[in-house]
Amino acid sequence: MDYFFQQLINGLTLGGLYALIALGYTMVYGVIQLINFAHGELFAAGGYVGVILLGYFTGRGYLETHPILCLIGAFALTMGYCAFLAVGVEKVAYKPLRRQPRLAVLLSALGMSIFLSNALMLTQGVYDKAYPSELFQGGFDLGGVTISYLRIMILAMTVVLLIGLNLLVFRTKIGIAMRATAQDKIMSSLVSISSNRIISLTFAIGAGLAAAAGVMVGLYYGSVRYDMGFLPGIKAFAAAVLGGIGNITGAMLGGLIIGMVEIFGAGYISGQYKDVFAFIILIAVLYFKPTGIMGENIDDTRV
Amino acid sequence: MKKKLLKALVWGCVLVPFILSGAAAKTLKIGSMSPLTGPYASDGTDIKNGVLTAIEVFEKEGGIPGYDKIELFAQDTACDPKQAVAAANKLINLEVVGVIGAYCSSSTIPASETLAEEDIPMLTPASTNEMVTDRGLPYMFRLCGRDDDQAPASAKFMKESLGAKTIFIIDDKTTYSQGLADGIEKACTDVGIEVLGHDHVNQGDKDFSAVLTKAKDINADIVYMSLQGYSPGALMAIQAKRMGVSSTLVTQDAMFQPKFMEVAKEAAEGIYLTYGYTDPNTPEYKAFENIYVPKYGPIAAYATYAYDAATVLLKAIKAAGSTDPAKLKAEIMKMDFNGASKRIKFRENGDSGSTYIAFKIENGKFVPYWDPQKGLLK
Repeated sequence: MDYFFQQLINGLTLGGLYALIALGYTMVYGVIQLINFAHGELFAAGGYVGVILLGYFTGRGYLETHPILCLIGAFALTMGYCAFLAVGVEKVAYKPLRRQPRLAVLLSALGMSIFLSNALMLTQGVYDKAYPSELFQGGFDLGGVTISYLRIMILAMTVVLLIGLNLLVFRTKIGIAMRATAQDKIMSSLVSISSNRIISLTFAIGAGLAAAAGVMVGLYYGSVRYDMGFLPGIKAFAAAVLGGIGNITGAMLGGLIIGMVEIFGAGYISGQYKDVFAFIILIAVLYFKPTGIMGENIDDTRV
Repeated sequence: MKKKLLKALVWGCVLVPFILSGAAAKTLKIGSMSPLTGPYASDGTDIKNGVLTAIEVFEKEGGIPGYDKIELFAQDTACDPKQAVAAANKLINLEVVGVIGAYCSSSTIPASETLAEEDIPMLTPASTNEMVTDRGLPYMFRLCGRDDDQAPASAKFMKESLGAKTIFIIDDKTTYSQGLADGIEKACTDVGIEVLGHDHVNQGDKDFSAVLTKAKDINADIVYMSLQGYSPGALMAIQAKRMGVSSTLVTQDAMFQPKFMEVAKEAAEGIYLTYGYTDPNTPEYKAFENIYVPKYGPIAAYATYAYDAATVLLKAIKAAGSTDPAKLKAEIMKMDFNGASKRIKFRENGDSGSTYIAFKIENGKFVPYWDPQKGLLK
């Protein structure tokens, strides 16, 4: 039984991280029907900004004296930076192509993804960068299940961000504007919603969440490297599709499912097939419910 | 008519220096293949730097008679078999006289077959799979050891020095890591260590929590980690420690990278690994260190072998006074000298052999710990 619970916690942690990244895909798709393939690289960039900031704090000795403050600062600055980066990416690579065929924007997204990962490689080097490891050392044993403080922090942080996003989208004016733009760009602009601003905001929020996931991955796994964005990016994209792309709750659910399936597949069957299991689930769901788990029926404004 | 002739003559004179200089500046082209991008870019860059150092040493000593300079064409294989074959073809088109590389056994094997069609000598500094030299290619040489030397040495170490009775093996399904892991499984059974499980992870994985939970549950004396490259290895070491895996971690030559400790930090302490022994106190190693370190930083696993591989190739060209592969091979087989990594003498099949000893990581350093002949080293 310990084994099961330990794997459950592993799955929750991994699934939570996937969910955070998946939200960016799903929100951007919801608003402008674009798969932002550069999203995985924004996540990687977040990991790097996090390690640079935390390295700076460690160098100054701040991390020892005010660990919580440093961590909050690192998360806030990283999320802010990546939000700006995402807005920049949108302005450079997507906005000029908004009236072009869908294929052009898709190619531009792929190009941006390759550009960003190479830019990371050239500026940060090909070697892994290690996170300061003094943070949240240790943990406790709960009936044979090891739970580290770091995991609790990551799970708590994920839950807070997810709740925050839900409140933003469903309880605020900005959220209403976002949903309105997603539904009909022209009509929403007639009621004085600046669709350009809303699109930028969507990119910024998605990237902020991915950046937070990047820092958490760095803290959790101990290091970051320039190509770390690709695989989680694909998995999170799959999670977004699984949940019904365009649907925020669906993306969270999809992320959790992919994470769980991976961990339990690896834990109970064999590690070598874990990616296979994740994608078999995806294909099976799409086969029986093409809109994804939480996806609504696709109407003409969405496609 | 006369005017035309004069014109042609003048133009001819103008062009002469270009034609002459083109003919006189002779460049010796050698190639290297290693992953310069992708997950193993750091090891691949070390290989390239090792070869560049060897070239620098040769040029300082006056180069090779008949050539103005030695130029390296470093190709990126990304540890991908298709890209490695493309790189081999590109090097053939560039008319290189020899190739140092590649890194992953899975890309060295197909690339070497392409190079063999053109009789271009290939010297690998890093591919340890048995198949590399066992296929009987005439111009295939290897500077590092073989997996079927490493696996028995490692099993013997775990049995005799660590007193292990049970083992859990993890590999990441590359030709190198899986081949070695299979070898370990067999060698362990031979010496009487019970194999409790052999699981696989995927290349590019960051999350090893599932397989490590399994390892913790099985609780074997040893968890053997056979991964390609230090980066997943360091991640696995960190996660194993955080997960509370109490088995002893034993791993292989791919972790012999100072970066491993830089990333894994305290999680690296107490890990054992086997690696072909290089004595860092020989004058040859010191000479190499003096040139390499100021330029490229700390010396990692494959830089030394790559340096020796390039030295072997350049020495052979110098001695043969030709780039004819058959003559080069004759020179290479005659060689017997102390390289930076070890004494270099090739066997009939192109292997140069290696003595695997066990290292222990202590205070962020690889400390020689156990020798198959001498036992404990301290």
